[in-house]
Amino acid sequence: MKPFQYRAPTLLSEALSLLASAGQRARALAGGTDLLVQMRRGLISADLIVDVKKVFELNRLDFDPSDGLTIGAAVPLCRICESPEVARHYPGLVDALSIIGSVAVRSRATVGGNLCNAAPSADSIPALIVHGATCTVASREGTRQVPVARFCTGPGKTVLGPGELLVSVHVPPPQPRSGARYLRFTPRHEMDIAVVGVAAWLELSEGLSTIANARIALGAVAPTPLLAVEAGASLVGRTPSAGAFAEAAALAQRVAAPISDVRGTAAQRRHLVGILTRRALEGALQRARGAEPDGRQG
Amino acid sequence: MTAGAVGESVRRVDIEAKVQGRRRYPQDFSLPGMLHAVVVWAGYPHARIRRIDPSEALAVPGVLAVLTHEDVPVNEYGINIYDQPVLASDKVRWLGDRVAVVVAETLRAAERARDLVRVDYEELPIVDDPLEAMRPEATLVHEDRRSNLLKHIYVRRGNVEEGFAAADVIVEGTYHTPFVEHAYLQPEAGLAYIDDEGRVTVICAAQWPHDDLRQIAHALALPLEQVREVVPAVGGAFGGREDISVQILVALAAWRLRRPVKMVWSREESIRGHGKRHPFHMRHRWGATKEGRLTAVEIEAVLDAGAYASTSVPVLENAVSFLAGPYAVPHARIDGYAVYTNNAVTMAMRGFGATQPPVGYELQMDRLAEALGMDPVEIRMRNLLEPGSIAVTGNRMPAVTSARETLRAAALAAGWREEPQGWRRPGASILRASHLRRGIGVACAYKNVGYSFGFDDRSTAIVELALASDGSIQSALVRCAAVEVGQGVTTVLAQLAAQTLGLEVSRVRVALTDTAATPSAGSSSASRHVFMSGNAVVKACRQALEKRDAALREESGATRIVAEATFRGHDVRRTTAYDIVDGHCEPHISYSFGTQIAIVEVDIETGAVQVDRLIAATNAGTPVNPRLCLGQVAGGVHMGVGYALMEEFIQQKGQVRTARLSEYHIPTVADMPRELESIFTEVPDPDGPYGATGLGETPTLPTAPAILNAIHDATGAWITELPATPERVWRALRGVPAQPAAPARRPCP
Ligand SMILES: Cc1cc2nc3c(=O)[nH]c(=O)nc-3n(C[C@H](O)[C@H](O)[C@H](O)COP(=O)(O)OP(=O)(O)OC[C@H]3O[C@@H](n4cnc5c(N)ncnc54)[C@H](O)[C@@H]3O)c2cc1C
Repeated sequence: MKPFQYRAPTLLSEALSLLASAGQRARALAGGTDLLVQMRRGLISADLIVDVKKVFELNRLDFDPSDGLTIGAAVPLCRICESPEVARHYPGLVDALSIIGSVAVRSRATVGGNLCNAAPSADSIPALIVHGATCTVASREGTRQVPVARFCTGPGKTVLGPGELLVSVHVPPPQPRSGARYLRFTPRHEMDIAVVGVAAWLELSEGLSTIANARIALGAVAPTPLLAVEAGASLVGRTPSAGAFAEAAALAQRVAAPISDVRGTAAQRRHLVGILTRRALEGALQRARGAEPDGRQG
Repeated sequence: MTAGAVGESVRRVDIEAKVQGRRRYPQDFSLPGMLHAVVVWAGYPHARIRRIDPSEALAVPGVLAVLTHEDVPVNEYGINIYDQPVLASDKVRWLGDRVAVVVAETLRAAERARDLVRVDYEELPIVDDPLEAMRPEATLVHEDRRSNLLKHIYVRRGNVEEGFAAADVIVEGTYHTPFVEHAYLQPEAGLAYIDDEGRVTVICAAQWPHDDLRQIAHALALPLEQVREVVPAVGGAFGGREDISVQILVALAAWRLRRPVKMVWSREESIRGHGKRHPFHMRHRWGATKEGRLTAVEIEAVLDAGAYASTSVPVLENAVSFLAGPYAVPHARIDGYAVYTNNAVTMAMRGFGATQPPVGYELQMDRLAEALGMDPVEIRMRNLLEPGSIAVTGNRMPAVTSARETLRAAALAAGWREEPQGWRRPGASILRASHLRRGIGVACAYKNVGYSFGFDDRSTAIVELALASDGSIQSALVRCAAVEVGQGVTTVLAQLAAQTLGLEVSRVRVALTDTAATPSAGSSSASRHVFMSGNAVVKACRQALEKRDAALREESGATRIVAEATFRGHDVRRTTAYDIVDGHCEPHISYSFGTQIAIVEVDIETGAVQVDRLIAATNAGTPVNPRLCLGQVAGGVHMGVGYALMEEFIQQKGQVRTARLSEYHIPTVADMPRELESIFTEVPDPDGPYGATGLGETPTLPTAPAILNAIHDATGAWITELPATPERVWRALRGVPAQPAAPARRPCP
């Protein structure tokens, strides 16, 4: 690892100035569970490391029934998962955040880091996408909002420009009669990278008999996590049924563009997209009806 | 008063210091004036070296030397035969070959300079498939040999044609097992220096330090007395530290530069630089009567030996003796081949050639059971070896032969019933979801204890007693270089000494392994220390007691008694090499047996397999320390689960595709069976200390075949290629081959 400068500002303005001062040679550091690994392997080098864990705005975790949930970019995953409000209103998010790494990793790792690292397999992203979450991005020039669905632009690439910092992620308030579920498939139970991840979100109509709204997002099957628009749209107005879910699953499979690597072949990934989409929809439906699905992953 | 004697689960003597982080592992040692060394690894899996140009590297400030083959006095080593260069000279044969060592004042300088060592290569075609490598026209890995065939070993017993003619059913199968990485916690590290007596001293992890000395002395052209190895705490070994890793490299650098030199491999270097468990391609053809009695077996196994011999020959010897399983077979034709390739060197790994065979023989057993509509426990009971049975190699099995006891114990625990018509399996259980299938699978296995086939296996122990004036023993010190690699041997030796001396275990100290102070105990492998070194310690203790009694009779006033004893395997059973004609022999000193029953849940949509419950029955003879025995079982099952479901070291054209632990998956605790039930049968080994026997390897052997048989029971699909990854299971369920299956061609050397 090459030598670098380390700064840990407490004010957002200070953090933004530091990042602006070093441009491309600066890196934000949150939990470091991606960054340090990549620096030690020589994949990334930086002259300035700006530790953002002390910045107030990045450490908020606020819930308000009418405003929704704001997750500071530097809040460790364990804090989010342990929040009773998040658990009650966003169990589909907890599905994703509670399986990232191990207890040790989750004590450091953040949603901000997971988003900014922009791995195609990042577990938090499909779940945030189906919840319709938005990123707040700041620089010395000001702030802007970017939907999570458009945040990643390629493996390891995001919309962030030099000097920009992800401040927080905002998740809209929970809708009545809605439910979400995230499932991932890994050969190993934990400490593993998704072969496929699928998040589903459903909102039922007033009588609970038809689907009013649906979103499905896929991980690890394209250069970025993917909103499967048609798969979700195909469910709107329909009665939740095995047939409807199978059709949505087939549409999700169609947009998946997986590759073959050591973790799995494209054929297996495509197959798993179908299975996991159906199961995630079943789980989301149970939650929309107020029940809890079987806790197992995959 | 012998608190902590044989049979008690005393606390490990080393545990407190380890848990508190006080015990030092090899990489924790440093000395003033120490230099840092890094390896320049082979750039290709097979290439001729035209030129090595160190000039740019030498120009890096702080770099003292770039050592190459020209700096090695005798440029060869190898645990079994000297076929491996310390530093590659004319060509590289796998990616783990070391081409040069850069030595510098700082690690950073050494690492920078490493990238500047220019090696001019001429790439050569590679052989990466042992079956291809056996063809006469194949590229040679070692050009001074006529072919890539390293060794062919065979057994002929009876007349197989007659045996198959007498069979009512014949089942055939091909099986393939992968390369497996040891993945010990502590990557290779070593510190070498010249000690005050002028000896090149290496502090490192090892399994048999005295054997390392032989190889270090040979390469450095030094007399044995001028080399020394000190083994501090070792972070796991599993066979992977039998071979030399950093030892000669740091010794060479320290000897040349006359300063302490340290080398620490990264995890990636460890995975690249040390050998793996042998992949086996196996073909089986078995015949049996309607009553389920075996009439004949025909078995062929081809082992990928990788680029250098390492212990491939003894692994092959072991494997051939186990390929037919713990069963009595009247007619057998068994052939095993070890073949050089440009793949990773293959070597010892927990089981030493006894781990792969059960994947073949236990699936064959279940295939026979299925073909005959017979219960899997019942058919095994009808064929298992017992004390006095004649094994496939023509030898008579000893009293410790306890396969039946372990099968019976496991079967009863799993709900089998012994009825007048025979053993009957438990009924089906309830499923939790429609996409899940449950199945139950049985597997037996066995393993030698001690070194085999005529090897003069021995262990030496020195016991020193401190006496009070009345002659009572105050304390005892045991010197015996039985390396503690985490298995608990130090504690067990202390207990055996305590038992023999009538002392509390807290009054027994076991000296740290240092070849200058502790006599050779042989290797921490082959499940052998409890048996071999345990016997040596007990023998030395008994001699010390006699000397003490004599001193008392003579009123010599001695306050210190020293006794040294060597235990030889030959004194128990004189093993022999394979007979050149029919392969008959007395293969092993002693044996360890185990049976496991796995209950699995298969997700038929994804192919994921979860082991729900695993029952492990292991013969422990007299368990010296039951808790440590359980540790061996839990650890063995853990490795077995990895072997069964996920571990696979993948190479493509000689390049490593699983270069780090995020790609080479070992199971975490979450992948373990939800319930593990360990049962010890206590059939004593009359030749072991107090009836004890070794069990370090056996618990890992039946796990994978038990799981594969359970997957078949659950789904009807035979997974014949390890690991049973979700993708392989899913494809098997759809009847789609994953990759071209293990080649069924008949090898023709
Ligand atoms: C053992 C292990 C297991 C893992 N398992 C999983 C898993 O199961 N699922 C999964 O998805 N991931 C996994 N990961 C990856 C990693 O833990 C996650 O991506 C984690 O969320 C990253 O968060 P972090 O806070 O550690 O990020 P960091 O490493 O601190 O940062 C990651 C990247 O984001 C940038 N960054 C961080 N914060 C900001 C910000 N506020 N603004 C702009 N840029 C920023 C950094 O500069 C860096 O490039 C694992 C990692 C390890 C080491």
